Amino acid sequence: MEPLEGGVRAGSGAFADYRLEGRFFDELFGADGSPRPACRRLGEALGRVPPEELARIQESVHRRFLHEGITFTVLGKDEVSEQIIPIDCVPRIVTPGEWQEVEGGIRQRMRAINLFLRDIYHEGRSLRDGVVPAELVLGCPQYRVEMRDVRVPHDVYVAVGGTDVVRTDRGFAVLEDNMRVPSGVSYMLACRAATKRALPELYREHRVREVSEYPERLYSTLASLGSGDGGPRVAILTPGRYNSAYYEHAFLAGEMGVDLVEGRDLVMHDATVYARMADGLRRIDVIYRRIDDDYTDPVAFRENSVLGAAGLFHAYRAGNVVLANAPGTGVADDKSVYAFMPDIIRYFLHEEPILANVETHLCRDPDGLAFTLDNLPDLVVKEVGGSGGYGMLVGPESTAQERSAFAERLRADPGNFISQPVLPLSRAACFVDGGVQPRHVDLRPFTLHGSRGQHVVPGGLCRVALSKGSLVVNSSQGGGCKDLWVLAA
Amino acid sequence: MLARTAADLYWMGRYLERTEQTARLLRHQLSGLPDTPADELALGWRCIYRTLGQIAPDAPLDADEAEVFLVADAYTLAGTLIEDHTNQDSLISCWRMARENATQLRPQLPLDVWTTLNQGYLWLAECDFPRAWSAGPTGLASEAIGRLRLLAGVVESSMARDDAWRFLELGRFVERLQHQTTLLSNWERVGRRGTQGIQLQWADLLRVCAAYELYCRRHTMTVRGREAMHFMLHDPEAPRSLCFVVRSLEALLTGIDPLASRHPLAPPHRMVLRLAATLAAGAGAPLETDETEGGTDRAEGELLRRLAADGAALHDLIIYAYVAYPITKGLPR
Repeated sequence: MEPLEGGVRAGSGAFADYRLEGRFFDELFGADGSPRPACRRLGEALGRVPPEELARIQESVHRRFLHEGITFTVLGKDEVSEQIIPIDCVPRIVTPGEWQEVEGGIRQRMRAINLFLRDIYHEGRSLRDGVVPAELVLGCPQYRVEMRDVRVPHDVYVAVGGTDVVRTDRGFAVLEDNMRVPSGVSYMLACRAATKRALPELYREHRVREVSEYPERLYSTLASLGSGDGGPRVAILTPGRYNSAYYEHAFLAGEMGVDLVEGRDLVMHDATVYARMADGLRRIDVIYRRIDDDYTDPVAFRENSVLGAAGLFHAYRAGNVVLANAPGTGVADDKSVYAFMPDIIRYFLHEEPILANVETHLCRDPDGLAFTLDNLPDLVVKEVGGSGGYGMLVGPESTAQERSAFAERLRADPGNFISQPVLPLSRAACFVDGGVQPRHVDLRPFTLHGSRGQHVVPGGLCRVALSKGSLVVNSSQGGGCKDLWVLAA
Repeated sequence: MLARTAADLYWMGRYLERTEQTARLLRHQLSGLPDTPADELALGWRCIYRTLGQIAPDAPLDADEAEVFLVADAYTLAGTLIEDHTNQDSLISCWRMARENATQLRPQLPLDVWTTLNQGYLWLAECDFPRAWSAGPTGLASEAIGRLRLLAGVVESSMARDDAWRFLELGRFVERLQHQTTLLSNWERVGRRGTQGIQLQWADLLRVCAAYELYCRRHTMTVRGREAMHFMLHDPEAPRSLCFVVRSLEALLTGIDPLASRHPLAPPHRMVLRLAATLAAGAGAPLETDETEGGTDRAEGELLRRLAADGAALHDLIIYAYVAYPITKGLPR
């Protein structure tokens, strides 16, 4: 795309359908309708390129995803379907200063979470001191008593984290922590590859920070946690090809050159994990598990699981294999615990949180429940252990009947829910319906934490709600993704 | 390599080979639709269905086989083998299964291999069979063969010659061994049982097997049944001759289990050596004229029966040796 000489403005020319709304921060345009300084070239290019050419570019990135099979799996009632994740060809730009804030906030949060997890499975100081109510943590379904006093290599509980960051009119905030099995990094890399190919000149002009080294970084991180003769042997444990993120598991295994194992490939012998190879059994030292705690080991956890490997947790406790992330990290994902994250940061790091939390009401508190029930039409209500956009109520988009049914669920089990205000998510330029229009977006940066420190990928999965007005960005709920360009300083 | 991965590669190779074999038979059969007598066409369908281990669609169990194929229409017979999702051996089903295996093999497969396979599958899955048939019955089979050949070329040019490639090729050649054995046997037995002197042409068999030109260079353009059979059994350079297939299998298994690394030889390797010996023993028999076919019929029929039995056993031995071996045998020493 050639840049356009002269100015462009929201609401005119190629952006005739691009209506700014003051309550939503716009990633492309400033409040005065002209492109933000860092986005000037992008805005000019979008203004210059005819819609037919943009449509061709959009089609090319879509076809790339289709032919390369960049998919996610949707489990329906009666069938399993494989869907191409929708991609939007227009990148979202983040300035170096903005990224510094996001990265700093995520690093801080990740350090605090690892210290918090170590504490709740050992001394429990933070629980005794009332930083987080003990009953909240100990009663959390993701709290694993089996992990008490287990020595975790280098005290790294969360080796791979994903943090959902949103931008509102008040700035960046953390919406959710994903410390169990965060997914989406492969889509981040696929978006980058597709966008770079579709918009080569624009990409070159922007001095975008690279994300392609992620698989190498991931491997180094995992290997740093293990030991073994001749270097630790790493494998990815997947639930199998019917898992929604199977494409990602296979992609990462291929990029890292490690085995993609299922539970049925693993054999336990003398509290040691072996993989069944074509030429015999071979020891595995580090397992990057992409499977929930419950399913990792039918002996230690859910006994009817056929996805994991019996005896795996025993080998882990014996120190003969590293599991990343460690079992029990889901406590940090819990949406009730999330509400206490600023206090956790202050307690363990003696610092003020760099990234704010979203205002959260705990329905386990009578006041929180009453507030939630009184304001259901204006709130988003989520299950504390939910993910993927399932099991939630978006008040403004719900019917009276749905709210009534949800209220019943709230009253029956208030501890299972939290509520938050409907966030005015920022909007970014997308090519939809033959033109450039704003759509709501969020951002999931990924963090790696090994024995030698942290690394935050300079980019992330930028999810976009492609339906007009929709605030739900989850791919399982019709959302798509786009490339995120973090500019070099 | 993971045992399950080896199995997936092996099965992917088998399904791809099966897809191509079906497409080759169909292309030949459908190209004869305009000018081949009905009873000869019926004989061809009968041979194809038998070779693929299928029964004619909607045929009563007690129906006379020859009669069934005489009255069946080509559109239905071809459709069953091409686009019928309920038929596990149709082109679309085999391609889907190959793709499903490949889905689990993405860490092992170059992106180009996956993309070519996926594009081929998407093409066939989105194909409008009635419309394709109207445009020309052979078009679809020809296009399928072209796409499969393209995939074979991409595999050839982009895969390292490591165990992943070997297991993929192993599946391909085990499937080819079983298929060619059955095809030769049926061409001989079914092909010359037509009424009123109608029989399948050996030249056509060579064309289906992409061996006609080589045969002509080796012999003459006048294809004789005994020579064609001998050629498809023993020629070392025709890629679908059983001799070529067995030699390929031996080379692949030697690569997987280098002779120095195992003693005694792995059971699949021993079985392939036995297949080679069986073939070699049959290669020395003198070629008889067509007038004395009865005598060599029995010898070659027996040879094909032994090859078929050993080919089936080979599959089981491969699975047992590399995939489903007892854990106690796999522990590091």
